Amino acid sequence: MKKTKESTLAVDIAGIKLKNPVMTASGTFGYGSEFMPYTDLEKLGGIVVKGLSLKPRQGNPSPRIVETPCGMLNAIGLQNVGVEAFISEKLPKLKGVDTAVVANIFGETIDEYMEVAKRLDASDGVSGIEINISCPNVKKGGIVFGTDPGEAAKVVGAVKKSTRLPVITKLSPNVTDIKLMAKAVEDAGTDAVSLINTITGMVVDIEKRRPVLATSTGGLSGPAIRPIAVRMVWQVSQAVRVPVIGMGGIMTAKDALEFIIAGASAVQVGTANFVDPNIAVKVAEGIAEYVERHGTTVKELVGSLTTG
Amino acid sequence: MSEAVVAHNRLIAPGYYRMGLQWKSPGVTPGQFIMLRVSADSLDPLLRRPFGVYDVLRGAKGIEILYRVVGRGTKIMSTLRPGDMADIFGPLGNGFPAVKDPGRAVMVAGGMGIAPFYMLAKDILKRGENAALFYGARGRTDAAIATDFRKLKGLKVEVATEDGSMGEKGLVTDIFGKKAVWLAGEASVVYACGPSGMLKEVARISKKNGLRCFVSLERAMACGIGVCLGCAVRTGKTAGKGTDRKKYGMVCSDGPVFPGEDIEWESL
Ligand SMILES: Cc1cc2nc3c(=O)[nH]c(=O)nc-3n(C[C@H](O)[C@H](O)[C@H](O)COP(=O)(O)OP(=O)(O)OC[C@H]3O[C@@H](n4cnc5c(N)ncnc54)[C@H](O)[C@@H]3O)c2cc1C
Ligand SMILES: Cc1cc2nc3c(=O)[nH]c(=O)nc-3n(C[C@H](O)[C@H](O)[C@H](O)COP(=O)(O)O)c2cc1C
Ligand code: FES
Repeated sequence: MKKTKESTLAVDIAGIKLKNPVMTASGTFGYGSEFMPYTDLEKLGGIVVKGLSLKPRQGNPSPRIVETPCGMLNAIGLQNVGVEAFISEKLPKLKGVDTAVVANIFGETIDEYMEVAKRLDASDGVSGIEINISCPNVKKGGIVFGTDPGEAAKVVGAVKKSTRLPVITKLSPNVTDIKLMAKAVEDAGTDAVSLINTITGMVVDIEKRRPVLATSTGGLSGPAIRPIAVRMVWQVSQAVRVPVIGMGGIMTAKDALEFIIAGASAVQVGTANFVDPNIAVKVAEGIAEYVERHGTTVKELVGSLTTG
Repeated sequence: MSEAVVAHNRLIAPGYYRMGLQWKSPGVTPGQFIMLRVSADSLDPLLRRPFGVYDVLRGAKGIEILYRVVGRGTKIMSTLRPGDMADIFGPLGNGFPAVKDPGRAVMVAGGMGIAPFYMLAKDILKRGENAALFYGARGRTDAAIATDFRKLKGLKVEVATEDGSMGEKGLVTDIFGKKAVWLAGEASVVYACGPSGMLKEVARISKKNGLRCFVSLERAMACGIGVCLGCAVRTGKTAGKGTDRKKYGMVCSDGPVFPGEDIEWESL
């Protein structure tokens, strides 16, 4: 009985085995262990940890966040402990936890991306690498790779050479044609794509006549961006052959199923974790209930959308 | 994350409410806060709202918060009625450190910053230590929320209002400043909560007079548990080299209470 249940939910993303299609999104779930008091990590398909760089980063000045209608803007500035501290201090805490751990990485140069990927390749307990080519928050780098198909392809090619782990490339929505970007990174050898990262936005304090965020602009996330994300996942899944991971504003199983039916093989839950640290598990349970009710499997649901 | 039931939600002064929440709360340290989802399943407002714990309900059957209606979330909260469900996450943060044998514990509060001091004052008085509250408000109506503090036996309360309608006319930092030398003679410890400009001044006066000072800060929050890295304040301790190597503390998980001298006030 248990076995059939597992197989109706399990998905395989380029060799990363997920017991269900629900992961947590980078930057919204810390390094995973912070959520142990609040949720059962083993009920998740996987965890994507906070974006890692070669050296620790202190991040942006404050204010870094502001709430918006059905969402929030963030300009954290990719603050993180650095790949070495992640491997020595954070990763061991997830040892023995039966869930896939994906390391999200970024760099300011192609060499940095390669170096971070190499260190992770040599570590124990990482199931895959997600390349962030799309963070809009940092003045140097990031934005360049994610909005230029040529540069994005270079990063992906370089990271692929640096690791044997499956590589997911995380796409930025801040482009005119996301299909072009997806094809560019597919040609460069990515094993999967994930989307969407945050959409650049801005909030103005009308009393001070200044932007609320210290960096002026930030990345919009949460339910406000979901229809855009679903549309982009649908377009990309038709344009590429590699698996697509969908995210953007997922709060419920219904939201997640929209992405799956539109073409996503798996989903990530982001901002919703701040509202309820156990929400990703609830999304997974809701998907299980839907799959059972419809007598189907997640794999069958992927891209099962009918149009026209 | 855990279900609570609204026990009461009383208007105590124009715009100010006290809400009792029946809730199987773990022990609360004064200065800790909770995050409340203002309405279940709401997407707007999306994020939880942080509130200091004002008091613990009799028999530890829950907690009480004191809040002021300032925007959409608190407006919705003010419509909750006894028996309504509420979704609480917490208690979170470090709380005020208990200092061994202070000559006197001095609480300096500005406006809504008074909220976490009721529990702290009760704790300090219970330990048989001396306690004083300096409270600053805009006017008489705002100052009315300090009424309960006057009923605490042994607590010295001094009030300053900006319009002079109650207590001394002026800012709370004025009345605190005048007593600072005397308080220093008593080797007092200072706890402050309120607007950042006020906290900066309290920290400055404390430092000048050699008083130990702890400030409780406020920042916009999303997660409340140190993972979104949204509620950063510059704590001035430099880690590593270079100009962008300034260390940030998270108000939700490293705070909300920090030693006054650790904060880089210019960055707030
Ligand atoms: C640790 C902590 C403890 C707090 N304790 C209390 C308390 O005991 N009682 C109480 O009344 N309030 C407290 N606050 C402030 C309270 O969280 C805000 O007033 C509340 O979030 C406003 O929500 P809203 O939807 O009504 O306002 P919004 O519509 O979100 O905003 C209305 C106005 O309030 C400002 N605001 C929004 N969030 C905050 C915030 N976190 N801090 C300061 N200003 C904000 C906005 O800039 C805006 O001007 C605390 C905040 C923190 C961080
Ligand atoms: C506070 C915050 C921090 C984030 N940090 C990262 C990051 O470090 N790396 C990354 O690739 N994406 C990061 N993201 C983007 C999310 O992983 C996700 O792509 C985006 O928020 C959309 O999903 P959501 O609407 O479910 O949050 C961050 C998002 C938020 C809200
Ligand atoms: S609110 Fe998320 S880190 Fe403090």
